[in-house]
Amino acid sequence: MDRALTGIPASPGIVVGPVHLLRWEVPDVPTHIIPDDAIPAELERYRAAVERAKERLAGVRDRAAAQAGPEEAAIFDVQISMLEDRDLANQVESYIRQNLAAEKAFDVVLHEWRARFAHHASPMMRERVGDLTDIHIRLLSILIGLPDHDPVDVPKGTKAILVTHDLTPSLTVQLDRDAIAGIATDAGTRTAHVAILARSLGLPAVVGLRDATLRLAGGENAVLDGSTGTLVVNPTDAEVAVFQHRAEREERDEAELRLLATAEPVTTDGERIVLRANVDLPEESPQAATSGAEGVGLMRTEFLVVGRTTMPDEEEQYRAYRRVVEAFNGRPVVIRTFDIGGDKLPAGGFPHEANPFLGWRAIRMCLDESDLFKVQLRALLRAGLHGDVRIMLPLVVTIDEVRSARQLLDEAAAELEERNVPFQRNLPLGVMIETPAAAMCADVFAKEVAFFSIGTNDLVQYTLAVDRGNVNLAARFTPLHPAVLRLVKHTVDVGRAAGLEVAVCGEMASQPVMVFALIGLGVRQLSVAPRAVPLVKHIIRGISAELAVEAATAAIASDNAAGAERQLAGRLRAAFGDASFLGDGLLVS
Amino acid sequence: MAERSAKIVNKLGIHARPAAEIVKTASRFGSSITIVRDDLEVNGKSIMGVMMLAAEYGSELLLRADGSDEEDAVSAIAKLIESKFGES
Repeated sequence: MDRALTGIPASPGIVVGPVHLLRWEVPDVPTHIIPDDAIPAELERYRAAVERAKERLAGVRDRAAAQAGPEEAAIFDVQISMLEDRDLANQVESYIRQNLAAEKAFDVVLHEWRARFAHHASPMMRERVGDLTDIHIRLLSILIGLPDHDPVDVPKGTKAILVTHDLTPSLTVQLDRDAIAGIATDAGTRTAHVAILARSLGLPAVVGLRDATLRLAGGENAVLDGSTGTLVVNPTDAEVAVFQHRAEREERDEAELRLLATAEPVTTDGERIVLRANVDLPEESPQAATSGAEGVGLMRTEFLVVGRTTMPDEEEQYRAYRRVVEAFNGRPVVIRTFDIGGDKLPAGGFPHEANPFLGWRAIRMCLDESDLFKVQLRALLRAGLHGDVRIMLPLVVTIDEVRSARQLLDEAAAELEERNVPFQRNLPLGVMIETPAAAMCADVFAKEVAFFSIGTNDLVQYTLAVDRGNVNLAARFTPLHPAVLRLVKHTVDVGRAAGLEVAVCGEMASQPVMVFALIGLGVRQLSVAPRAVPLVKHIIRGISAELAVEAATAAIASDNAAGAERQLAGRLRAAFGDASFLGDGLLVS
Repeated sequence: MAERSAKIVNKLGIHARPAAEIVKTASRFGSSITIVRDDLEVNGKSIMGVMMLAAEYGSELLLRADGSDEEDAVSAIAKLIESKFGES
């Protein structure tokens, strides 16, 4: 076997540790007939396995409740109820009485149930197939005696590398940060849910390994290098030494960068850049506040919703927003309304769609489900009392969406007034520019909104018609495509002419070559992951806006992404020499 | 035998968590409990059955119990449904 597996670098850092293989798939069960006199013992074996699975689930639930909160943990109570189901037990036991071994009996019944749920007309039912699959896997693993793949069952302090096909939100809830030190997945790209999550948790991650779960057995010693995208299995002592040396150097570099937290993000020729942080979870706000960021440029709110069984109510949302706003002590906090749908499914379930990224998501879903949307708007209006809250609408393609949202915002305010609940009036309302439609019509939006924020991931995806979650298309996802650069420039020019703030808040605002390009295109506000704040500040302080404009002008006139990158990378290297961090996000080296 | 109709008044309908609560409540009673929606009849003590109803906002259910505590059983479940399961 080739010992070095190469994937896509998703979150930087190096970790050496044992592989924790999480094969969360339904195992194959051979048909096994038992003799009549073995039936009572087999029934007993089945019941004992159910009890064992319930105990395990109760443990998972308690840990999820402690780490993520009672709402997130509720899903495991549902799974426990499913295992306690009398109809289920009766069906399985009747198969056992017909001489089927317990694992085959359970397997047959669960396949039937899952099919019935999967083909149900109600989306609410189809959403629950995942829970049935979870108990299907969990109980079969116990009955067959498979090695323990429970994601939460890694002892604290193990510093294991979690290797799995894909990290779903329901697995994410169970992730114990004291036990897992790195993540490697078969699926995914740099911008997939798992990659964004790993970066916000500061865990090294490699995604898009394609078949790592098939090549590994679990328990091997391995090195995960999230900066280069490699997973080295059974490394030699010499290899480990090399990686550890690099890890130490990266840590030293980072410590040096952290000293920059208090430095001003200003270019060598005096252009002041506003540098803010992206926040995914309220828990991250203290870290973000001390990173040197001047507020929050993007607070994602979907993480309040995904993997849960119910929507968070007004009070819970208000507390979450207030926590972030207060951590930033009066500095601006831009909160994006729910961007659910696509690969982030909300509580309660929504229809499966053939093209979720072109489907019923984000502002479209919020406007159609106005009651649900107004709960969020009321919570935002109330949080506005505690600082500088700005509301941002995702995925707009027409001004009508802004007008409808504003109407709902007025209704939300009126409802609070009626209830005598204090709130902040006239919060600034801005839009994400993440579709070619919004970018081309920026002048129309500029007349009615307070600010623009360019969402680079989606802008690239929609401009190039490249699904950012498709591993086969990773090389075609090129943010430096001149079409993307031109849309960014158009948006910046229109916004600045209208006197609006124009920010960039996508993931790629943290890549050195993109920072350089964006400043050259006229962007003066960036929002990046808290971890990336010092590095981006370092880049800003090392370049001149004049050189950036020259580079961006050449890039935008290039034939293709590779040409644009050559224009930018060459000049950036001239400014910084051969610094290691420049490699992050570069296509050609 | 005791019977009672109940209308789903919480917006999200009988999704997983409310289904689990109905089953928990039903299981406290000795009576056999059936829940009927249109032509679908399910065991009120089975979460799979209750979820199978896919009872969304506004749908009408018939609660039926048979046994010594049949009256208490239907009224407890009806009350739970009316309480919107603590949702909106």
